[in-house]
Amino acid sequence: MKWALMLAALVAGCSGAQSRLAIFSTDWEDDGGASIGRVWQRIGSAKVPASVDVVVGVAGRSGRPDELVGLPLGGGSKWTFSHALDVRPALAGGVVVGSGAGETFALDAESGRLLWKRATEGASLLGAGDDGSVTVFTLKSAGSAHELYAVARDGRVVRHIVTNRPLGTPAVFASMAFVPWAGEYVSVIDLGSGDEVARVTLRTETSHAWVGEGALWFGEVGFTRFDEHIADASRGRSSTVVLPIRELPGLPRLMAPGNVPLSPVAMAEDKARVYARPAAGEPGVAMEDGRWYATYFRIAMGYDVGTGNRAGGGLKAIEPGKLAWVHLHDVDFLGGAAGPGGIVLCDERGKVTELDAKTGGVVSEVDLGQPLKACVVNVDEQRVTGPAEGRPLAAQLAEAVLVDDPQLVVAQRLLLRELAAAPEELATKALVDLASDPRTSPDLLADARTDLANRRNGASFMEAALARHYDFLRDVLRAPPVGPIAQALGAMKDRAASPLLASHLLDPADTDDDVMRAAAALAVIAGPDEAIPLREFLAMYRANAGNDDLAAAVVSVGQALMSIDDKAGRALVEWAATEPTTVPYARDRLQALISAAKEMAGAGDASEGAAKAK
Amino acid sequence: MRRRTLVPATTVLALFLASLGGLFDVGSAAAGTSKSGGASLPGDALKRLKSGDSTQVAAALDDVRVAGKAGAPAVPAIVDLLAHGLPPDLTQSAVDTLGDTESEAATPALAWYARHRNVAVRRGAVQALARTRGPVAVRALRAGLSDPDPAVRGFAATGLGTMKAKEALADLFVALDHKVVEASPSIGELCAGDECDKLAAKLGTMPFEVITSGLDVALFRLPADVNDDIKIKIVARVRELGTGEANRFLRAVQSKWPRRSSTKVKQAIDQAVLATSASPGAEGT
Repeated sequence: MKWALMLAALVAGCSGAQSRLAIFSTDWEDDGGASIGRVWQRIGSAKVPASVDVVVGVAGRSGRPDELVGLPLGGGSKWTFSHALDVRPALAGGVVVGSGAGETFALDAESGRLLWKRATEGASLLGAGDDGSVTVFTLKSAGSAHELYAVARDGRVVRHIVTNRPLGTPAVFASMAFVPWAGEYVSVIDLGSGDEVARVTLRTETSHAWVGEGALWFGEVGFTRFDEHIADASRGRSSTVVLPIRELPGLPRLMAPGNVPLSPVAMAEDKARVYARPAAGEPGVAMEDGRWYATYFRIAMGYDVGTGNRAGGGLKAIEPGKLAWVHLHDVDFLGGAAGPGGIVLCDERGKVTELDAKTGGVVSEVDLGQPLKACVVNVDEQRVTGPAEGRPLAAQLAEAVLVDDPQLVVAQRLLLRELAAAPEELATKALVDLASDPRTSPDLLADARTDLANRRNGASFMEAALARHYDFLRDVLRAPPVGPIAQALGAMKDRAASPLLASHLLDPADTDDDVMRAAAALAVIAGPDEAIPLREFLAMYRANAGNDDLAAAVVSVGQALMSIDDKAGRALVEWAATEPTTVPYARDRLQALISAAKEMAGAGDASEGAAKAK
Repeated sequence: MRRRTLVPATTVLALFLASLGGLFDVGSAAAGTSKSGGASLPGDALKRLKSGDSTQVAAALDDVRVAGKAGAPAVPAIVDLLAHGLPPDLTQSAVDTLGDTESEAATPALAWYARHRNVAVRRGAVQALARTRGPVAVRALRAGLSDPDPAVRGFAATGLGTMKAKEALADLFVALDHKVVEASPSIGELCAGDECDKLAAKLGTMPFEVITSGLDVALFRLPADVNDDIKIKIVARVRELGTGEANRFLRAVQSKWPRRSSTKVKQAIDQAVLATSASPGAEGT
């Protein structure tokens, strides 16, 4: 109640620069798009000014005052500006807006020069828009109060509105402020009169408005273009795309809610992000370069948007396309922006990296010169272009899944699934390496072993792995993934692997499961050369199999000895099948094996006899 | 109580035994009898070993163990049992028994069981191999240094020293670097010249008692194996530490130094004891 009275007093008692109370009113009735349609008619053909392409970092050196470090991406000089910060700065048009120590300030984005500052005690910056002459920004004050400011380049307040509605990040265009609020509305405020001249209701969560890519946009979970379809927005027929809901690690967001101040220090949600850039060249909306991107700490991924990219006159959910590339970085990404031709990302060491949209290759890298706590990037016209190393996806996936970094495991599981589906032999090698490396997380290991068992190529990599054995003195402290490899090689009928698998039958460092699967494969691919190790194994474990896995291995080895028609081996199998000390599990199955073999031989003799009789 | 049969005497089995015999080359040593050892082997021991009855086999194995080296004639029969496979308890007993015979004829079978999946069987086989000896045993024990089980690695290291397997010295140094502490006395047993100094040079980089367990062995070896200069060098390495534990070790060596052994080395030991006697923690401080 106290706040409501104070807000009413603010609105009613301020100078002529303030607006009427009806602004942001909730008793407004949907006008069916009439008012926003009129605004489109009025300004739809106006040219949208370009924004400055710039990266701004919040320097992270401890014990020193907060400092902004800016670098125009078009090739300007690096600049710095020291000022206390209580929230992350915002980039808009040609300015950088920040707040801290009870004031809000604006800097020229190209040079870092202070344009103006004004006291905004107790309020935190939410977001800003700029058209080159006026900067609009929203603040969140104590309690539920939100403020909208419009400030000219000389620091003069053009408009100041206080409301208890949750405002988002505004845009300014053609002397009108476009202010998203309550997650679903965008109110258009005429900065001259202070009136709310139009309002549109959007059908997707919306807390941001911005200009870029030659158009005006609204969004949070997707992009809605301000175009000739905007009047149909409340009926769900605006030009809108939402990004595919994928099983991405960290549940990343396209944009943070525009009505919540962002910490000046990047959080986990800033490292796990989705990026995309709407392209507006033709009517409707499409994803620039047919790509959208995701980061997860030090991994960046590029996804294909699939078919049906363009939307116009209706809500369109972009299809979940295929993973196109993966980039493994040396440190965590803190922020970035998608641009034409690729994505620009800044990291905690203060490096700014441009990745090619098509391949994920590094196009360029520049250095802000100091570690960062957070960073923001704006890319409008600057194109990511230049030579980039284009490696095969399988190689990129292999690198990403093999890196030893516990915080990446969730993403690595996702990438492992992609790797398992890759047809290249290189993918098999990566799976072998992953399943063999003692540093591999248990969470990944199980998946890697399963995926490896299902491979049907890369036998040479599997054989090379089988040639290794646990060796304490040589620091080989994990046996190769014998079981999955055996399963794959058995399915591939790779007889060349038989001696290698046989050698693992007698390796006590291999797990019982691995031995069981090696024996199963040998039942299919063993040759006469493996007779001795097979006999050794059967003799050693027929009465000494401590569990069903080993007993099953004994049976498989018996089967192998029968199939290679080894005389002594066959005698051993027949003897073991009747010997009381043979473990029952194996004995019963060996007996069945012998019976089946005898039946087959009998059937063969009968048919041979019948053929002779004819 | 029904007796379990182990090896039925059938024609098929006879064929099989012949084929398996090639796995373990029992050789001519099997025919020999140890001149020393325990009680003589009972006359029916071989018969009971071949009875196929687990109770009789177990009892016969006990008799062979008691006979010690005199049980060597039973080695081929025990090897045959292992070649067919035995239940866990009899496997362990057979392995241990072969060790007690100290017959090299048992070595191939033991080398095989030194890779058994049951770690207790492996430990027993590795310990037995140190007693049955021979080149096959050396190879098996060198492989045992890389076993996943620390106890097997330790027994293998000890066994190589016992067998004077000089060719395993490099492996033993690697094992010592991998914290197989049992390698140290074996190195002390096998080293010569710079190799002993190499062990001494590890003082300060590994636990004192680990290295000195090897140096102690080296210091008391015959001059023909480890000459006085090397021993003096070892003493100097310990003395350089200047610690209480160095002093205590040197005093222990001093106290048991044989009267007829090198006076030069004795002098070096005496001086080292004196030089380290003021070290913190030294005896008498």
